[in-house]
Amino acid sequence: MSNLFDRIWWSRLQAMTWKELLQLMRDPILLVFVLYAFSADIYNAASGVSFQLNNAALVLFDLDRSAASRELAGRFMPPEFRWAGAITHASQGQKMLDDGKAMAVLDIPPDFSERLARGDTASVQMQIDASNSVQGFLAAVDATQIVARYGLEQTAQRLGVGVGGAGGNLDAPLINNQTRVWFNPNQNDAWFMGISELLNVITLFSMLLPAAAMVREKERGTIEQLLVSPLSPWQIMIPKIVAMVAVILGGTALGLFGILVPVFAVPVAGSLLLFFVLTTLYVSTLAGIGILIATMTRNMAQAGMMVILIIAPMMFLSGAWTPPEAMPALMRLGMYVSPLYYYINASYGILMKGAGISVLWPMFAGIFLIGVLVSMTTIVRFKKQFA
Amino acid sequence: MNLRRISVVAYKEWREIVRDRLFFVLAFVVPSLLMLLFGYGLSLDVENIPLAIVDYDQSVSSRDYAHHFSDSRYFSFQGYAKREQDVEKLLIDNSLRAVIIIPPDFGARLKSGQATTVQTWIDGTFPFRALTAKGYVTAINAAMNLNNLSAHFSALTGIGQETLRNSMQSVKLETRYLYNQEVKSIWSIAPKLIMVILMLSPPFLTALGVVREKESGAIYNVYSSTLSRGEYLIGKLLPYVGISIVNACALTAFALLLFGAPFKGDPLFFLLSTILYVICTTGIGLLVSVMVNTQVAAMVGTAIVTVVPAVLYSGMIIPIPSLSAIASVIAHALPGMYYAEIAMGSFLKGVGIAALWQDLLILALYAIALFTAGFLGFSKRPRN
Repeated sequence: MSNLFDRIWWSRLQAMTWKELLQLMRDPILLVFVLYAFSADIYNAASGVSFQLNNAALVLFDLDRSAASRELAGRFMPPEFRWAGAITHASQGQKMLDDGKAMAVLDIPPDFSERLARGDTASVQMQIDASNSVQGFLAAVDATQIVARYGLEQTAQRLGVGVGGAGGNLDAPLINNQTRVWFNPNQNDAWFMGISELLNVITLFSMLLPAAAMVREKERGTIEQLLVSPLSPWQIMIPKIVAMVAVILGGTALGLFGILVPVFAVPVAGSLLLFFVLTTLYVSTLAGIGILIATMTRNMAQAGMMVILIIAPMMFLSGAWTPPEAMPALMRLGMYVSPLYYYINASYGILMKGAGISVLWPMFAGIFLIGVLVSMTTIVRFKKQFA
Repeated sequence: MNLRRISVVAYKEWREIVRDRLFFVLAFVVPSLLMLLFGYGLSLDVENIPLAIVDYDQSVSSRDYAHHFSDSRYFSFQGYAKREQDVEKLLIDNSLRAVIIIPPDFGARLKSGQATTVQTWIDGTFPFRALTAKGYVTAINAAMNLNNLSAHFSALTGIGQETLRNSMQSVKLETRYLYNQEVKSIWSIAPKLIMVILMLSPPFLTALGVVREKESGAIYNVYSSTLSRGEYLIGKLLPYVGISIVNACALTAFALLLFGAPFKGDPLFFLLSTILYVICTTGIGLLVSVMVNTQVAAMVGTAIVTVVPAVLYSGMIIPIPSLSAIASVIAHALPGMYYAEIAMGSFLKGVGIAALWQDLLILALYAIALFTAGFLGFSKRPRN
C-alpha cells in the first residue's frame, strides 16, 4: 500500500517537474539569456576587468631637461604606466587631469639634476587624479617605489657602493621581506572575477526563476488548477525547485568547464563533487526564498522589484566584491543571514584553496539552516494563502 | 503625434502604477535603499587585514619588528602563532589574510650586522587586496630598514643618523591627490553610485511595465486603438521617466547630505544631463521589453544588459583605460560611462558644459537612437 502511495507521489513529482522544464523551454529568448549569462557574461567579467594598475596615463612636466630627469622618467614603464605626452606649462597638466586625459602629472623641478649631483635631497612632485581612490593609491605606491629605487641607485653610484638586487649582498643589518602570495601567486584577476561572476549569475537565476514560475501561476490564475488537483503544497513547490536546480546546475557546469577552466585556467583545487553538492544546497535555499517572494507578491512586476531589493544587497555585502573583514561592523551582522556569504566562502575555499568538508562544514551548516527556515516559512505562508 | 493621446496613455500608466501599491512603494524604496547599502557597505579601502605573526626568534628586535605590523591600522592583529602549520588552516578558512614569519636567528643576525630574511604569506583570493597588502608590507619593511641602516652606519662612521638617513633618500616623491584629497572611498563613489543605481532601477521598472501588457494581453487594446506607435511608447515611458527623475533627486540629496560629497559644478547642467541619462536608461528597458514576450525574460535580459556593465564597465571600480578590448567596447556602447564623467565632473572637479559637452551630446544621441530602435522594433501587427 505504502509502496503504491510512494509511486504515485513520485510520478506526480515527475510530471510536475517536466511541466516546469517544458514551460522554461518554450521561452526561447529566456533560454538564450540564460546561456549568455553562464558563458559570455562570465567570459566578459573574467577577461574584461583588472583591479591592478594598468596603463595609467602619465604626463611629464620636466623643467630640468637633464639626463637625470630623463632617466627617472624612463623608469615609469608599462604595464603600470604609459606616457601620454609632455607639457611645458603647469596649467596644461591641470587641464589634462580635468578632462580625464591623464591620470597623473610628474613634475620635475629645474634644480633636480643639480641637487642630485651635490648630494642634496631632490624632490619630485606627482599630482594624481584620485577620484578613483583605489587606482590613485596604487599609482602613488608604485611611483614611490620607482623613485625610491632610483634615489638609492643614485646615492650608491655617487658613493661608489654597489647595490645588489634587493640589497642581499650588502654587509649590513638589512631585513629582506620575501612575500609569498598563496592560492593565486600571480594575482590573476581573471580567477577572482570569473568565479565571482559565476556565483553572482547562479544567485540571480536561483532566486528569479522560481519566483517567476510561481508568481506567474498566480498572475494567470493557473494556481487554481493546481490547488484543485490532488497535489499537496510541497508537491507544488518542490517540482519548481527541482526543475530550476537542474537548469542552474547545467549552467554552472557550462560556466565552469566551458569557460573558467579551459579559457582562464582557473585551478579547481578541491573536490568538484563537493562544489556541486554545495551548489545544489545553495540553489535550493535561494529557490525557497524566490517562492517565498512569490507568496508575498501578486504580480511579476512586484516580484521582480522584490528580487532586486533582496539580491543587490546580498551581492554587495556578502564578499563578492570586497571581503567580509572590509565591511563595517553593522553590515557584517547582515552578512551572516545572507546565504551568499557562506556560499562564496565555501566556493573560493573549494575551488581556489582546495579546502575540504572538515574546514568548510560551518558554511554548509549555515546555508542548510537558512534553507530550512526559509522553506518552513514558505510552506506556512503558502498554506495560509491558499488552503 | 497627438499630445492628448500621449497624455492619456501616460495617465493610464500612472494610475496603474499607483494602484499597484507595493510596486509603487518599491519603485522609490529600491533606489534609496541601494544607495544607503552601497554607500556604507561597499568599502574599497584596504584596512583591517587579519594578520598573525609566527615569531621563532622571541628576541627584543623581533618583537619590535612585529609591533610595526601589529600596530598598523592597515592590519588587524589576531595574535602570535607557535608554528607555521597552525596558521595554514586559518589561512584556508579565511580567519587570516596575512602571516609574517620571523626566523630564529633574526635578532642575532641584525645585531652582528648581517642581513636576514623574513617571510610574508598573503592570501591571494582577492588579488587587488593582496597587491595592496603587499604594498603595505613593503613600505613598513622599508621604513624599518632605513632606521636600522642609518643607525648602523652612523655607529660605524660617526656621522649623524639624520644626515645619513637623508642622503640615503636622495630623491623624494611628494604626491598630491587631486579632486579627492583625503582619498576617501565614499567621496569618489557617491557620484558614481548615482550613475549605477539609475542604470539599475529605471530599466527594470520600464521593462516590467511594458511587457506586463504583452503577457496579460492588454496590449491588444493598444493594437486595435488609433494610438500610433510613437504616441504609445512616449506615453508609456513618461511616468517611468518621472519616477526616475524624482529618484535621481533623492540620490543626489543622499550624496550631498549623507555622504558629504562636495558639489562644485553647475546644478542646472547636472540636472539636464541627469534627465537625459534617465531617458536613456528607461529607453534600455523599453528596448528589452519590445524584444521579449514574457516578464521573466524581460527581467533577466535587463539584468544582463545593465547590472554587470553598470558596476564593472562604467568606470566605477575600474577606470576605462584598464579595461580589456571587449569590455571597453561594451563600456563605450552604454550610457553609464558618459554620465559618470558628467557626475564626477560636476561633483568633484567643478567643470561644466565647456569640458563635458561631448558627453552630453552622446547621451542625447543615445536617447534618440534607443527610442528609434524601440519604435522600429515595436509593431502593432505582431506576426505571432
